[in-house]
Amino acid sequence: MSSTIQRCLAIGTDHPATMAVPELDRATHMELFKQMVFCRVLDGKLLGLQRQGRIGFHGPGAGQEAAGIGSGFALQSDDWVYPALREGTVLLMRGFPLEKYIAQMIGNGADVQKGRQMPVHFSSLEHRYVSLSSVIGTQLPQAVGTAMAAKLRGQKIACVGYMGDGASSSSDFHSAMTMAGKQKPPVVIFCQNNGWAISVPFSAQTKSDGIAVKAKSYGVDGVRVDGNDVLAVYQVTKQALEKARAGDGPTLIEAVTYRRGGHSSSDDPDRYRDKSQTAPWLLVDPLDRQRDFLQATFGLTAEEEKDMETSAKSQIDRAVKLAEAADPPEPKTAFEDVYAVMPEELERQMKARLRDSTAGIAEGEFPL
Amino acid sequence: MAFEFKLPDLGEGVAEGEIVEWKVAEGDTVTEDQPLVEVMTDKATVEIPSPRAGTVESIPHEPGAIVPVGEVIIVISGDGEAPAAAPTTEAAKETPAPAAKTPAPVAAAPADTTPSNDKVIATPATRKLARELGVDLGHITGTGPRGRITKEDVRGHVGAQDTTTTASAPAKSAPVAAPVTPITTSGGGGETRTAYRGIRRKIGDAMIGSAFTKPHFTLVEEIDMTEVYNLRKSAKPAAEAQGVKLTFLPFIMKSLVAALKQHPTINGIFDEANSEIINYEDVHIGFALDTEGGLLVPVITNANRRSIFGLAGELGRLSAAGREGSISREELNGSTITITSAGSIGGLFATPIINYPELGILGVYKIEDRPVVRDGEIVVRKMTYMSITLDHRIVDGGEAARFMNTMRRLLESPTTLLLEG
Repeated sequence: MSSTIQRCLAIGTDHPATMAVPELDRATHMELFKQMVFCRVLDGKLLGLQRQGRIGFHGPGAGQEAAGIGSGFALQSDDWVYPALREGTVLLMRGFPLEKYIAQMIGNGADVQKGRQMPVHFSSLEHRYVSLSSVIGTQLPQAVGTAMAAKLRGQKIACVGYMGDGASSSSDFHSAMTMAGKQKPPVVIFCQNNGWAISVPFSAQTKSDGIAVKAKSYGVDGVRVDGNDVLAVYQVTKQALEKARAGDGPTLIEAVTYRRGGHSSSDDPDRYRDKSQTAPWLLVDPLDRQRDFLQATFGLTAEEEKDMETSAKSQIDRAVKLAEAADPPEPKTAFEDVYAVMPEELERQMKARLRDSTAGIAEGEFPL
Repeated sequence: MAFEFKLPDLGEGVAEGEIVEWKVAEGDTVTEDQPLVEVMTDKATVEIPSPRAGTVESIPHEPGAIVPVGEVIIVISGDGEAPAAAPTTEAAKETPAPAAKTPAPVAAAPADTTPSNDKVIATPATRKLARELGVDLGHITGTGPRGRITKEDVRGHVGAQDTTTTASAPAKSAPVAAPVTPITTSGGGGETRTAYRGIRRKIGDAMIGSAFTKPHFTLVEEIDMTEVYNLRKSAKPAAEAQGVKLTFLPFIMKSLVAALKQHPTINGIFDEANSEIINYEDVHIGFALDTEGGLLVPVITNANRRSIFGLAGELGRLSAAGREGSISREELNGSTITITSAGSIGGLFATPIINYPELGILGVYKIEDRPVVRDGEIVVRKMTYMSITLDHRIVDGGEAARFMNTMRRLLESPTTLLLEG
């Protein structure tokens, strides 16, 4: 039998709530919803920008807003985040400026990573958000390692390592879970089980009864939560983080959700899955569920929601404009940040390149 | 200022896209992010939203058109605010919108048209070529990235200037997907433009796949076909009685089957995806068939289990079906080796391209009377050349030579086919 899926917001009568709604005031509940609305508007805009050739790549996350927002909301500013592909909004929740976020997607001079990383592979030391590698699962041992360091230093912080269901088959997942179980560092491994690892369905990924159950074999607590229920995600993540900070060990959280769109902007899910598979998940949309809850409990009005959307759109449009106004990264940045003291030969090459660019010699020309 | 929207790279490293459906028409008013067009690439079919608001001025490509990345797919004019353009598109904005149907260069020419070699972009090799040909690079519009002048541009310029040599200007071998400047003729002669698609494009893609992944080598042997010639002559009435047209090809196929029995490593395919060489006990012979629509390769299945008359009958049936266009897809698939006989039309011998993913292709050519030396005397015999082209990753030259020795031995004394075939 399947392990219980924790939820605060019941789905009909077949799937009742297993937990109480967390005790938050109206403003906080509204904020959670607002963040999800923002997340969805941004996601649509970014996919459009990719289709227009204005950014190179996007990992769309429609339908998975609750998993990112709910878990991100439970984090403290001094916690460390090791994200996977669909947690960019966690960075925004930590105060990362939106125009810098868009600039990273473009990879121009306004990008804090100086255009060196693939789009969506955000990184910000200040926000304790460490760039993912495109390689699956590598961030998990890094998260566990950082948590082990925090434990050694006696810091009362937690680390969260995000992953998808596909990463549960990676050796890095095994390494991370083994060390987490043995060393008991303050870490939370958060899996967004969205049913698909690019074109591989979960049923073909593993015969395990979900991901959370795997935790038991490593001596780690496992929790399965409704990934489309932002309140439940927030609740279980908060509990897991508090337990971690208190020195009571790690947790593996499996947020059960669904990837509605393609794996990335380069992927076309219609080539390998039937639309009828997606349809049931549209009935448990995370925004719909939180809206229903807010209308019933806090009297959310259509106007309030409309304002959230309008505000999201204008913020995003403004940020896109600001980000696109930036120039490409300075040519000299291609030479920097490798050596503390630049070797002579590299400096010579850099100077030659800079001389060329000031002389107006275009790319591809060989000065003769 | 009209905004030219160029087809972006919709995946990671996508080179072109096919226009599936336009959601807007010329003259329509569009808003930002309104769906414009559905485009199909190798990776996905996607809907492209409008990057700006305005009026659709022109749509140069019809549904079905295959458009390279970077080419203008729609021109939008009017009030909408243009997005901040990427630096690479700045120069392009200076050029007027291309008239419909004119291939637009990916990058625009440098704005400065003053003839001068100082500001042009060209590689040292191109500059050297221009010096040798006495061409001023300042007079040439580059078609490469950022208006870089390519060697082809320089040669095209020379061809366009010299009207007496235009007709015999060498055919361009443009790199894949690079824009080409059409040769301007001043002699008044017309031109024909044919879309590169359908069977031609399929042939092209298959050839590229084979020629640029398989290291080919070709071994040619001279074979005395006099005995086969005589045998065929004597067997013709019997064949006709059975309603079979007996050409030389069934004899060659029978020899091929017998030779492959002794050289089985040549019969099969290379499954690169799984790093496996698959050799087959049965021989399914594909034969290159020249049709009006282009090259087809019908397959004679289980050639090793057919008689010479049986091969001839199947050959006739498949050839007719291929030329009529009634051949089925199944009859064009599954060959383990291919024979090309285009050489029978003309030419001494050719260097064929292997029918991907097979390991080899046998080339057969015209049979003609040639003087040869037999027992110290010059005699006239029915001679031909025959070639075997192989994937050198899998088969080496020694085996090719041994295989061809076997072919020669069988064809020069065809009665052995009764024993070995």
